[in-house]
Amino acid sequence: MSRVLVAMSGGVDSSVAAALLVEQGYDVVGATMKLTCHGDELPDRPCCSLDSVNDARRVCDQLGIPHYVLNLEKAFGRDVMDDFAREYSRGRTPIPCVRCNTFTKFRDLVAKADAIDATFVATGHYARVLDGRLYRGLDPAKDQSYFLWGLRRDVLSRLLLPVGALSKAETRQRAAQLGLDLVANKAESQDICFVPDGDHVRVIAQRLGPDDPSLQPGPFVLANGRVVGHHDGFARFTVGQRRGLPGGFGEAMFVVAIEPERGAVVIGPRQALLGKTVFASELNWLEAPPAPGDGVLGQVRHRAVATSATVISVSADRLELAFTDAVSAISPGQSIVLYGGSQVLGGGTIDRAPRALPVAAA
Amino acid sequence: MPDPIYLDHSATTPIRSEVLEAMLPFFGPRFGNPSSTHRWGREARVALDEARERLARALGASADEICFTSGGTESDNLALLGAWRALRKSRPAVVSTPIEHKAVLAAIHEIEAEGGTARFVDVGTDGRVNPASFTAALSDDVALCSVMWVNNEIGTVQDIAALAGTAKSRGALFHTDGVQALGKVAIDLKSAPVDYLSISGHKVGAPKGIGALFVRRGAPITPLLYGGSQDRGRRPGTENVAMSVGLARAVELAVTERETESARLERLRDALEAALLAKIPDAVVHGSGAPRAPHILNISVPGTDSESMLMALDLQGVACSAGSACQSGSIDPSHVLTAIRVPHELATASVRFSLGSLSTDAHVTRVAELFPALIAKARRLSGLVAD
Repeated sequence: MSRVLVAMSGGVDSSVAAALLVEQGYDVVGATMKLTCHGDELPDRPCCSLDSVNDARRVCDQLGIPHYVLNLEKAFGRDVMDDFAREYSRGRTPIPCVRCNTFTKFRDLVAKADAIDATFVATGHYARVLDGRLYRGLDPAKDQSYFLWGLRRDVLSRLLLPVGALSKAETRQRAAQLGLDLVANKAESQDICFVPDGDHVRVIAQRLGPDDPSLQPGPFVLANGRVVGHHDGFARFTVGQRRGLPGGFGEAMFVVAIEPERGAVVIGPRQALLGKTVFASELNWLEAPPAPGDGVLGQVRHRAVATSATVISVSADRLELAFTDAVSAISPGQSIVLYGGSQVLGGGTIDRAPRALPVAAA
Repeated sequence: MPDPIYLDHSATTPIRSEVLEAMLPFFGPRFGNPSSTHRWGREARVALDEARERLARALGASADEICFTSGGTESDNLALLGAWRALRKSRPAVVSTPIEHKAVLAAIHEIEAEGGTARFVDVGTDGRVNPASFTAALSDDVALCSVMWVNNEIGTVQDIAALAGTAKSRGALFHTDGVQALGKVAIDLKSAPVDYLSISGHKVGAPKGIGALFVRRGAPITPLLYGGSQDRGRRPGTENVAMSVGLARAVELAVTERETESARLERLRDALEAALLAKIPDAVVHGSGAPRAPHILNISVPGTDSESMLMALDLQGVACSAGSACQSGSIDPSHVLTAIRVPHELATASVRFSLGSLSTDAHVTRVAELFPALIAKARRLSGLVAD
């Protein structure tokens, strides 16, 4: 009987994943990763709280499988939270979930799986692995494949994603059928687990200090350089953001770029967000790397639609991709994920996305 | 899987059949409240008084010096906070060691929060308190010293008689956490010059939720709780008659069997230690250079980590522990190993085997085979040793 280590957050998805694997006859071991300190958590958060650990333990008890709590706090702080703060400080918009998957779950957790002779690792992600290839989850509303491009290929061959072929509703239904009442109707976790109150600036201040340049006042500027107001720290802004900007332009204005060198937040109208080209680094391929001229689907955000693009150039650590039609609000720090149909081919971290149109002077 | 092996007796022990039997009437017809004046009450009161006397006798104390508590944590808190709060005006300081149980360290933290001062004495790399450092800490502002008799993680035994004698000579009171010492080292409160001693039931075959604090006659104690006059007002609340009876029985048995059981456990522990060191020559046994309680073996192997080893052992049916479990159940690096200057990579690789009533020769033989095999695999994975 093959052993599988299941990462269990105490939520419905990973609980059902574990239950399905038990049903399928695996020797299932549950583990909850302790990623942040439980000392000063906010109450009633759906993820990463002490209650979640307890819920996962009770689900495992119900399933008749062992459960462990793995203290990955130190590595998570280094690989995910420090990077999160540094990226904002560089004027970028990081995705900690990608790095958590790449480093914490599918490197550190896999090392624990090795230690207990687990052939497989499993999570409650909505994505599918077929013949060692990674595909989107079947429920388009829940698909999480965008966050999984950083996996090592040797891990992919050991990865089981039991709920990837289910819809969220089906997962909840299975949880109810399996008698997992504890988690069946649990609220969805939406926020970043270590920013449960949504205040990411607090995390940056904690890790880099309140004097970090990204938290200091600076100008709002137009593309032509004209200063149109002042902000209280560019780390509070993300490309595409509309909230918190100066008004009086006769049309909606958006953050179109962040320039950390001069602490500026560049704003412009909606069409100034459009771009066709993406430069990315920190590349990882789940298939043979693409070649210049290859046609792919490119996705620049979790909720964005993947659209047609052409590989312009690719090297070990640099990708240039051109979209057929302009894409809005491509943000440095986010991931560019390449798909072939519904298959994840690989991805990288966006470094630069020149705008397609010259920004009109306002 | 072969029968599971329990090597975590320092965490808790199974309830002894003699203890269960002694308690059962009090979960049945003898349910009375010891404070009641009627026959049910009298019956309960007699049982409680008898338990107190038997427990006192087993430890060389008088019945009025025994205060029943909910366990080791409450006993430690009552001793530290109870003595310090009584004396704080003239003597605001407490002296302790960095290798104490969290129940002592956290109580000292509270003393500091209430305006007291804390001094921590040096502990050698062998886990023994440095006597010169202890003496140096004893200025005339010290209300109380607290030094644990047997360390729960590494098993080192402190020279309590000498330390308590020094403390007394400087006018300070002396508390010792004797939770792991009970049944393992000789405790005679007639001769040991300690003022307070904490014990816990569930480490010696009584249930969780019962313990006691020895308070020497004349030693000050301010209660933590306020209510009725039970236990001379030291510990208000309706007494836990059944478990007090169970505790007395368990302590009697532990004391009676101490010499033979300690010799048996020491032989098993030493056999396990020798077998593991023979197969893993670079393993480090913590506290091995000092007098050590017979039941604890705390060992670190370079290139491994506690968390993975505990999981792998548990999945093979072997229960042991490492460091101190936090409230989520994950393992934090041991403050004890850190305090005795064990390097971080060894401190995070420690595994504590603690032997007890369930331990047998067969268990030692099996773990002596299994543990080195798991270690070899862990080290191959960590890349320290070529496959």
